[in-house]
Formats: sequence, structure tokens, C-alpha cells
Amino acid sequence: MASTPAATPAATPKTAIKPLDRTFHGSTSIGSYELEQKVGEGTFGEVYRAKSRKDGEVYALKRILMHNEKDGFPITALREIKLLKMLSHVNIIRLEEMAVEREKGTRKKATLYMVTPYMDHDLSGLLDNRDVHLQVPHVKSYMLQLLRGLKYLHNSHILHRDMKAANLLIDNKGILKIADFGLARHYDEDVPKPGQGGGEAKRDYTTLVVTRWYRPPELLLQLRRYTTAIDMWGAGCVFGEMFKKKPILTGKSDLNQAEIIFELVGSPNDNNMPGWHTLPGCDGVRAWDPQPGNLDKVFGQYGDDTVSLMRQLLKLDWRKRINAIDALKHPYFTNHPLPSRPEDIPWFASSHELDRRNGRDGRGPGQAPPPAPAGGTVGGGPNAEGWAGKGPPNGSSWEGNGRNSRQPPGSSHPPNRAYESRIPNEIRLPNETRVPKAGPDGRGAPPPPPRRQPWQTDAPPVRSASHLPPAPPEGSRHPLPPRPDPFIPRDPHSRDSSHAPRESSHPPRDTRPPRDRDPHRKPANLDSYVPSYSTGGRRDDRRDDRRDDCRSAEREDRYRPSSRDGRRGSRDEGRRRLNYDDVDNPRSRDDRSDTGGRDRPRDERPRDRDHRRSRTRSPARERTREREREKEHRDNRDVYRR
Amino acid sequence: MAASSPHLSQLVNPLVSVDQLASSGSQLDGVPSDLESSCIYAGAQLMQIAGILLRLPQDIIAQAIVIFSRFWIGSDGGSLREFGVKDVSLASIYLMVKLSAYPKAPRSVINVFGYLDSFHSTLGDLKGHVDTNNPESYYVSEGTYVAQRAQLTKMETIILKVLGFQTHVALPYNICINYLQALDVFVDHETASHLAKRAFAHLNSALLSPQLLYLTHQPPALATAAIYLSAKETGVKLPDAEWWEVFDTDREELGFLVVAMISMEDFVKEENVKWENRKAPSTLIEMENELERKATANGHH
Repeated sequence: MASTPAATPAATPKTAIKPLDRTFHGSTSIGSYELEQKVGEGTFGEVYRAKSRKDGEVYALKRILMHNEKDGFPITALREIKLLKMLSHVNIIRLEEMAVEREKGTRKKATLYMVTPYMDHDLSGLLDNRDVHLQVPHVKSYMLQLLRGLKYLHNSHILHRDMKAANLLIDNKGILKIADFGLARHYDEDVPKPGQGGGEAKRDYTTLVVTRWYRPPELLLQLRRYTTAIDMWGAGCVFGEMFKKKPILTGKSDLNQAEIIFELVGSPNDNNMPGWHTLPGCDGVRAWDPQPGNLDKVFGQYGDDTVSLMRQLLKLDWRKRINAIDALKHPYFTNHPLPSRPEDIPWFASSHELDRRNGRDGRGPGQAPPPAPAGGTVGGGPNAEGWAGKGPPNGSSWEGNGRNSRQPPGSSHPPNRAYESRIPNEIRLPNETRVPKAGPDGRGAPPPPPRRQPWQTDAPPVRSASHLPPAPPEGSRHPLPPRPDPFIPRDPHSRDSSHAPRESSHPPRDTRPPRDRDPHRKPANLDSYVPSYSTGGRRDDRRDDRRDDCRSAEREDRYRPSSRDGRRGSRDEGRRRLNYDDVDNPRSRDDRSDTGGRDRPRDERPRDRDHRRSRTRSPARERTREREREKEHRDNRDVYRR
Repeated sequence: MAASSPHLSQLVNPLVSVDQLASSGSQLDGVPSDLESSCIYAGAQLMQIAGILLRLPQDIIAQAIVIFSRFWIGSDGGSLREFGVKDVSLASIYLMVKLSAYPKAPRSVINVFGYLDSFHSTLGDLKGHVDTNNPESYYVSEGTYVAQRAQLTKMETIILKVLGFQTHVALPYNICINYLQALDVFVDHETASHLAKRAFAHLNSALLSPQLLYLTHQPPALATAAIYLSAKETGVKLPDAEWWEVFDTDREELGFLVVAMISMEDFVKEENVKWENRKAPSTLIEMENELERKATANGHH
């Protein structure tokens, strides 16, 4: 017996070890970190950038909010910690340890922080940055890394369930890491096998997951037995986003999300989505106008292999949707130009900040500002959600800026993100208020439905719904989509034409007001679209909320226009994109040059700002934005909100 | 371990170090090791019973017991003079249940522990208690509940901190079945199912082992030992070759575990005799009283 022998020896150690000096491996005191600044703020907590006194490295500390003390330690954090501790992969965020902060003298509960490496950007912010011009090799590199991370996750029986650009962190070495496991859960089914897509699931999971804009059609249609394919859909959305520089499917409501998905990849039928008609449907809507899909049109400019991979990732049939193993073998990654090595990807940080400040975003010059420094920069820890929005110092200001900037400049996509980044600031407020982390969108949904029942009584759902119409978390950032129109030189013709017909065809759409396509359209509309997310509450809560959203199909319709616009914008953007791909600023690269970017002084300054802005949890942001929007456009809002 | 074998990380447990086995917080605080073993055993058994009353699957209960056992280990671990066994066992169950697919409200867990607390002995014959069912003896009032829930959430955080927030527990049950299949035992289903049941019984008993087998050995070794032992008991013939090698268990480890599992029976008998008419200390006050009693007894000697 271990203990027996110990008995005697115990005396010895006694002198050596003072009980009061006990240290716990895996948890440390907050004192071992030097907090530098708040980088983000989100539904799950605030994120700080901090330097370790032990090794001098910079880390991101995400504070765990104790929302519902009744239930003790937050289950979401617990689950996330547990999963992160099990994972070890270069493309998955690493949980270094937990830091505990105790206020001396008080009996107050300790505050806990999750410590992860500090990452300079999140992909969403990065794409927002106008100065960043991703080239095809870079896109391929990020995609490869994302797929490798997903392959590892799925092979480890884990569903991420909140795949989106904001949850993909990128460091200055070009390494991409999947973060934010607040919605992740163990996957009880067989892991994906080569050539067999996502396989089939045998049990039910909650459908209240995944941020709307990245939510796959089967989830929108309420399939409960979903598979790892849901993450692959998100990867496809991120893939497209890298070209368009903004989210490609920005539905204003669940119903609208489904519509624009079908617009892009075609409407479901027994061939492309067997069994679709047996699903509960979205908001009760189960019939869809037949559409052929326009993926070729939207992404054709990027090459056949791009379209091919995109088509595989955005397959309506979740059983046939390509899995990460097969996606990695797609010719896209072996065709020229080949993926660049991560270390060859330019370092963008500095540019971000500057750009924004300078108004590079294109929108108002000065405005861009506050926001996120590098659009993406957020030190995000693993949980994007948690940290997501952090407001940059400018926060308050930025809000104003953000909006203005967004809309006016017609900034196409880029602006969107920029805004998003800004959002963080705004977000703060909202976040705090909203306290209930109700993850508006997807993040929230907890896995097993049953669980929540017990404790979650407290469920914030109500509020979430009420307060915010939180758009999808990310949405907050991207709320811009609408604006893009203005910005975009879009070619109204093609898209408009396409849209127009559809609209007519779609009953729901008709409802909506005029589309925003017009560059001139008012921002108001834009804002409004966000709403559906009001679900905001926690996962559980969300359900209700979402439904509500769905119910309010009407509003959605109204929004749709805007959404479309957004899309177009994106398309248009796409064209632009081309430019940037080719163009690239030499300058950005230079900066990044080895040591370059970071070390520079200028970087530092900007960073601070940037960091704050960091990525927000989408929900939070969304909410904030929503609020703002609401304020501005109460009218619209009311409408859509139920 | 995670780094070395990422794909196996879910099947592997963090194990106690030699240093951690050499002493414990309780011993440093003056609790005799035999009393410590008794308390931890009693707490683990309490959890097993509570888990059943909560209708929890055995794997959740097992995970909770492992977490509970880890808590007390090493000089950094919890001390029995600092934390009551009952509080820790309750919080351990609640914590693991929270992470499982079978959530229970704090109220349910507290009610169950309140019920078990009304027993005069955790280790003795429970039947008598059940027969004299007196709801008043275990009713948890709202005030008590609120206080206990506060204590529960506090304890939960302390456990997490002591464990370095590592709540992952790999169990040997699944691989035990896999191993039996790999050994072709299931050709004859009747004996095989008997064998499997015995193996599971040993695995369950080992959870309560004062030797903390789940903390010192990986699941494959535990499963292998349980299979070896139950095959001997049921007369099932396993391959002549050193089949345990295939399951990452060497002869020495296998021998140790088998002996440890066999010894559980005697250990439990001794404990039952020792605590026949009373409870092993489950609160701080009871612990202090027990220590005092022991000191007095020793004084007499």
C-alpha cells in the first residue's frame, strides 16, 4: 500500500514540505502572470494578454465567468478544459494551465483563467484587414492546417460545433490553430473513414450549435443525428471566406440562412440530399423553391479546383460531404500554386492596425480605428467564444466609427470585418450587460439536452432573446455584409438579376423590402438583419430563441434583401479579391519578414489597441451590434424580432 | 503522455508519482495512514452507493471515485483535517455527473447524501436502515440545502484546483471487453459472460482499493489483471503464451495487480469489523473526535 510505507516517511517530508506551500500542477496563481491588457470580451469571459513571469512568454488569459453560481463551476468551461487537456496537435489551441486569482482577505470566490498561447490574429480579423492580401498559396496553407486540425479532432471523436473564421487563430508564424471548444463535445460515433464522408450518426445531438452563418443545411433543417460533416461545412464556409474576405453565407435568420445556402449550392432534392424531406425543416418551412445553385458563378473565378473542393465541402448531403481525410488529398492542394509553408506566410500584424487606423479599411479614414488592431488579433485563447469580443480601448468610439465606416464607404467586405473587430468595443458593454452568456447562436447549445434541464433552469434564454437579437457571434463582426453592397462595385447585373427572379419565386422574400443591394441602401437594413440571433441565451436557451427566430420567418424575409446584397457584395468582392491575390502588398510581406513585424515598436503600440479589440465571441458581438442596430433602426428590428 | 501518444490520450490516465504516494496531505497533518485508508475507502463506498441511488451508470461513478481518490494523494493533496470526506465525495460525484450525459441537480445529489448520512454506519449492513425508513431523519430542509449547495460549489472548485483541472478519467471496462474478445473468450458465451462479470466485479472492487490501483496503473493493466484473475476463478482457459504482454502489461505488474485485487476481500472484511457499528469519520468534526479518541486510546497503552 502506498499509504502504509508513506506513514513513516511522512515525517521526513513534513519538514521539507509545508502544507501551506502546496502547489498544484496544472493550476497556478495569477501572480505568475503579468497582465498587460484586455484583449477581448465575450460571452464566456474576458481575455487578457499577459506575460508569464516564469518564461517571459506572452499568453492569453481567458477569465471564466461564473454566471450561474447555483450550478457551480460552469459546465461549458469544464468541458472545454477537459477536451483541451486531451488534445495535442499543432493546429489545435493548447491549454497551458489554469491560473487562479484570489482576493486576499475576502471570502470571495477565486477567479479562474484559462491560459493559452497568445495568438496574433483570428482569421476573421485577419480577413477584415484591408492590408492583408492573402494569396492562393496562403489560403491553401491555412486550409491545409484547418483540415489537419479537423482530421485530428474528428479522429479523436470530437465535434467542434462552432467552426468559423473567428475561432481560427493564427500566429505570426503562419500557424493556424482551432480554438474555442466551448461547444465541442465527444462524438459517440465511428470516426470518419477515407472515402466515406462523415458517415452516419446513431444518436441525437442538440441542433442548437454552430454559429448561423456557418451552420450546415442539415442543422438548419433540424437533423439531430448529425456527424462530423457539420464541421466540414464550416470549413467550406471558411474556405470561401478566405477568397471573399467576408463570410459567404450571412443569413439574417435561420430561414434566410437556408435560403441563401440553397441559392448557392442548389435547393435540396432526393438526389443531392436524400432524406431531406423527412427532416423537421427550418422554422416549419419544408418546401424550397427549386434552384440550381450558383457556386460556379460565385467562385468560378478562383479556378476549377477551388470550386471542386468548395463543392465537396458544401455538399448538401451530409453523408457524402467530404471528410477531412479526403479533403486533404484533394488535388487543390497539389495543384500549382502549391500551399506555402506556414513560415512563409507574411506577418500581417502591423499592417492591420495601421490600416485600420488610417482608415485603410476604406471606410472613413479615421474611423476604422479603434477596433481591432489587426483585425484578427486577438489573443485568443482557445475559446473564441469566451474572449471574443474584447473591446479595444477605443471601443466606444469605434462603434460609431465602425458603423459609419462600414456603411458609407461601401466598403465591401473588408469593412465588414473591420467593423467586427471594432465591435469588440461595443461588445463590452453588451457583454457585461448580457451577462448571461447566452450564446446567441450556436455556441451555446450544450450537448445533451437533458443536462440543461436540471440546472439550467436559470437559463438565460429569456433574456437573451429579449435583449439581443444576437446575431451569430461572428456576425457581429460581419454585420457588414450588407454594406458591402455600397462598397462593392458589385456588378449589380448578374446578381441582381439572379436575385430578382428568385425573389419573385420565393414567397417569403417578397415580403422583404427592397434589397439593399443598392449601394445607397441604408445601413439600417443591415443592422436589422442581425436580429435573428436573438437567441442569445445559452445553448439551451438558444433553442427557444432560435425557434423564435425561425418563427419569425416574416422578418427574415424582410431581411433577406439585405442578405442578398451582402452576398453580392461578397461576390463582387470576389472580383476584387482576385486583385488582391495577385497584388499583395510587398510591404506586408516585408514587414512580416522574419523578425520583423512584431518586434517593431510600432507593432506594439497598435497592438494594444488591437488586442483589445480582439475577437469577440460572436454572440457577444452580435448582441452588441444588434443593440446598436436596434437603436438605430428600431423599426426594422421590431419587425424581425419576434 | 498526451504529447507522446495523442491518439491514445483518451485511454490513458495521469498516474500518481512516487513522491505523491510517499506522503499525503492528511499524513502531513497527522492523520494515521490506516485511518486515512479507512476514510477514503468509506468515502468511495459512499459514492458507489450514492451513484446507484442517483441511477448513474457505473462508469460515471467510477470516474467520480477516481477523482475523489486523486484528491487525497500526495503532499499537495487535500487533507482529511481540512476537508470532510463527505463534502469531497459529494462534490466529486456532482462534478463528474456534470460532465456526463446524465446531469443531476445539486438538490438530487444533496438529497441522496442526506439520506445516506442518516445511516449509522456506512460499511455495515444497510438493510436494517432501509427497513426502518424514517423520512424525518434524512429530510434536507431548504436552509440546509442552500448551505450545502454553497459548500458543494466551493468544494468543487477546490477539487478542480487540486487536480489541476484534469477531470479526464480513463476506465478499464471497455478495454476489458475488447481484450476478452481479442482472446476469443466469447466463443462459449455462457462461461464468457460469467468471466466478464467476474472481471467487472474485480474492476469495481479495485476502485475501492486502499492501494489506489486506479491511480497507480493504467486501464490496460487493470483490465488484464481482472481478466487473468477471473479466468482463474471461473476455470476459463486462456492462451498458454504470455498473452498479457500483448496488452502492455508485464508479468510483474500483472502479479502485483492480481494480488492486490485478491486482497480486497480481506481488506473489506477488516474494515467492516473495524467500523461495524459506527461511521468512519466523514466530517471534520468527526475526524477530530476520532483523532482524539485514538490519542486517548494510545495514551492508555
